[in-house]
Amino acid sequence: MPPHADLLPGTLDLLILKAVSLGPLHGYGVLLRIEQITGGALLVEQGALYPALFRLEHRGLLEGEWGVSDNNRRAKYYRLTAAGRRRLKTEAEGWNRLATAMAAALRARAGEE
Amino acid sequence: MWARLGSWLGGLVRRGQVEHEMADELKFHLEVRAERWKRQGLSPEEAARRARLEFGGLEGYKEQCREARGLRLADELRADLRYGLRQLRRAPTFTIVTAAILAIAIGANTAIFGLLDAVLLKTLPVERPHELRELEWTARRPRFSSWYNGSSRSNPAGELIATSFAHPVFAYVRDHTTTLADLFCFGDIEQVNVNLGGRAELARGQLVSGGFFRGLGVEAVVGRMITPDDDRPGAPAVAVATYGFWRRALGGPAGAPGQTLVVNGSPVVIVGVAPPAFLGVRPGRAPDLMLSMAIQPAVYAIPDMLRSARHWGFRVMGRLKTGTSEEQAQAQTQALVRQAILADPPAGEEYDLPRVALNGGGQGLDHLRQAFARPLLMLMVVVGVVLLIACANIAGLLRARASARQREIGTRLALGAGRGRLVRQLLTESVLLAVIGGSLGIALAHALRDLLPRVLSTGPEALQLTMEPDGWMLAYSSGMCLLAGVACGILPALHATRLDLAAMLGRTVSNPQQGPARSWTGNALVTAQVSLSLVLLVGAGLFIRTLVNLRSEALGFRPESLLLFQVDATLNGYRDARLNDFYAQALNRLAAVAGVRSVTLSRWGILGGHRTTDSISVPGYTEQGRGHVNVHVHYVAPRYFETMGIPLLQGRDVTWRDHEGAPRVAIVNQALALRYFGGAAPVGRRVGPEGGSADQIEIVGLAADAKFSTLREAAPPTLYLPYRQHRQHLVTFAVRTTGDPTALVDSIRRSLAALDPDVPLFDVRTQGEQIDLATHQERLFAHLVSGFALLALVLACLGTYGTLAYSVARRTPEIGLRMALGAERSDVVLMMLRDSLGPVAIGVALGLGGALVGARLVQSMLFGIAGQDSATLAVAVVVLVISALIAAWLPSLRASRLDPMSALRCD
Repeated sequence: MPPHADLLPGTLDLLILKAVSLGPLHGYGVLLRIEQITGGALLVEQGALYPALFRLEHRGLLEGEWGVSDNNRRAKYYRLTAAGRRRLKTEAEGWNRLATAMAAALRARAGEE
Repeated sequence: MWARLGSWLGGLVRRGQVEHEMADELKFHLEVRAERWKRQGLSPEEAARRARLEFGGLEGYKEQCREARGLRLADELRADLRYGLRQLRRAPTFTIVTAAILAIAIGANTAIFGLLDAVLLKTLPVERPHELRELEWTARRPRFSSWYNGSSRSNPAGELIATSFAHPVFAYVRDHTTTLADLFCFGDIEQVNVNLGGRAELARGQLVSGGFFRGLGVEAVVGRMITPDDDRPGAPAVAVATYGFWRRALGGPAGAPGQTLVVNGSPVVIVGVAPPAFLGVRPGRAPDLMLSMAIQPAVYAIPDMLRSARHWGFRVMGRLKTGTSEEQAQAQTQALVRQAILADPPAGEEYDLPRVALNGGGQGLDHLRQAFARPLLMLMVVVGVVLLIACANIAGLLRARASARQREIGTRLALGAGRGRLVRQLLTESVLLAVIGGSLGIALAHALRDLLPRVLSTGPEALQLTMEPDGWMLAYSSGMCLLAGVACGILPALHATRLDLAAMLGRTVSNPQQGPARSWTGNALVTAQVSLSLVLLVGAGLFIRTLVNLRSEALGFRPESLLLFQVDATLNGYRDARLNDFYAQALNRLAAVAGVRSVTLSRWGILGGHRTTDSISVPGYTEQGRGHVNVHVHYVAPRYFETMGIPLLQGRDVTWRDHEGAPRVAIVNQALALRYFGGAAPVGRRVGPEGGSADQIEIVGLAADAKFSTLREAAPPTLYLPYRQHRQHLVTFAVRTTGDPTALVDSIRRSLAALDPDVPLFDVRTQGEQIDLATHQERLFAHLVSGFALLALVLACLGTYGTLAYSVARRTPEIGLRMALGAERSDVVLMMLRDSLGPVAIGVALGLGGALVGARLVQSMLFGIAGQDSATLAVAVVVLVISALIAAWLPSLRASRLDPMSALRCD
């Protein structure tokens, strides 16, 4: 298992949107998907997931619907709304710009123009 | 934004479901997780424990989820409300008393505001009232017009401002305007004589053009309205009844349209009924009948008035067209009015063309607003003060109650409840209380709404106002409840939550040194109540004294056994000499009625609020170097002085020989003789009318002084002239009777009907009633302000009592200790009284200041008394201090009766 990194503030929402964008998921599924797509590098506190899901649903970025899980249980599935998709796009672009800039800054060595 | 609102509202409405689903969702997570650990070989218990540990604080996250949906505040509010209701139910006496106090205070505020709303704020119950405009003109020399109707006034520049137009001018503007739509005109008619199947009745009429109802956008509830078709030449006269008149006089639903009335001798067909909310375009002056223009000759005794360019008798309204600016419309309307005047100019007269303005017509046209704005605002201040006192009072009660709950509050604070959260909860309780009391008060005001317009009436009929609640009223009442709730609750809530926790929870004997510092809130509340009640008490005293002063004014005539009524024979076509003869015959017939001692007439009655003034020249008196002086004039019939009971001091009375062709004579009163003849005998001297030679009128008599139009003025210099030597329209008959004047009304009516059944009598009343009416407003103020002052006094006493009783309860151990150490009962009483006297004394001082300021504001409403009248102030202070002392005496007495042993043990 690779070493864990702490979650930067604000990144949980982005991770959830990304996870759900790959297909409708229930809360536990979101957790597993995040672990999977980050290669287990980011540690998400399980309980904290739900206030975030509620917040995103309240803002109309996610849409919740009750369905049946793989093991035949009732579970609430979240799906990205159109507004959620737009938000994911802008947030992802913002994040990439930031990451590129940070990476470039950290590559800098003394003496370079 | 909308998603959030929808989700929030959905969460509120389906609160239970949201909670349920949230639990399910989290449970699912834990179970699936536990299964995973089970698969890895853990026991079921260990797997479940592991899952819960990984998840973190379940309830904390749930709370965060609720917060994420914005539900926490609502949850807390709901809990607070439930808790508040339970608290109120647990103390029913407290709840009933405070709710009743608030009900009275908020009810009074709502009622007075309802009046204010109806008079000052409410718009006409018509379509799109903001578009309505009324035309008004201003001119220095308005000689294009020889006759006005409606309101007119002068501006400081000496120009006349009026709102009535000649019909041809109206028609010209209507036919040519491109900036105003739906132009219509109307003329007020004070009274018309209506004959309904043999029964004669007086009604208030309004002459309206065909566009009136269409222009206002008012639809008939029964039948049809008057339409432009009714304006075409030769159309039969038709009328629309207001809803009230239809129900009252036309038999309501049974009186279907189509019935014929006789109005001033002309037949009129009722074609429809206006909706109940429509009371005409003048607030407070609802017409009974709206009549089509075809009836004009019967109501305004002017032949062919609709074609006369000289008779400016109609008010004009229209709607500003959409897309037209105010300036464009004004400029065009002014140009059109001027063109219309120039099309038919007055012959041989110098005149100025008028400036025309467009006024907002949406609130109705009357000057009711100006007349009642001041008294209404004053009453509003009075009930506002009552509400403040009530709030201070309830704040005191709440504070005492909160201290009874100190242990509870202390415990909650110690357990970590936020102070803001506790204050919010306490405020929820007081607002709840205010809403309960306020709702009762609003219901009370609503139940009394039909009585309220009488408050402002100055005539025998109630003012007709639309008293139905509207948006303003709703906003005011609910705002008032909320504000009262917060005002009552904020001080006690802050006080109760500012606790020394350690002292609180481990409370033993109250520390006497700490006592007074703690109770400043209570003292401040007592001070506030005392000072505000003193202001109201002083106000009540001033208005009572004003009323007494007015009623004890020397009148100069004998008001008892006098019956007054008005007659206007021009309504049935009498003119000039025939008119004078008609009145003379009427006097003769009335003199013969059994029970009549003597009878006379004058233009206006005494103390009816009307006056006629004229300027005359007095040879030998050169006031202001002009020779002309302004005097009050009574046009009278013979036996005036005998009938009214005014002593004739010198010379002779007016007689029937002083007729149209005879030499002109006059009688003067003492005030006139003193002012203009220096007290010398006036009989035999001469005066002149303005514009005539200075010796045209011979003075033949001297009468004692008598009041003229109002009780507030001393007898003015007055000239009595024979009515036959002057043009008259309406006159006031005065009948002195041997017995009860009201018993003669029927025989007087019969006697005049025998002379001409179509000449109506109106405003029939005794002189006593006339004087009551003249002092109506003063009486009303005296009663209302006294009532409110009494209420305030009771509340202030209750407040003083409550605060002291609370302080006694708090200091019981201390008092017990003092008594155990040898203090006498009287010492204890004195000590407690001394404690309450401080805030009362400060309240009296502040109240005196407030009363002096307030008195200056109402000075113009007072009579015969200065606002700073020391006797009134002294009486008010004494009444207040004695009441407060009694209120403080009771708990002090109870304190002195404490048994020292049990008092010491009480904690």
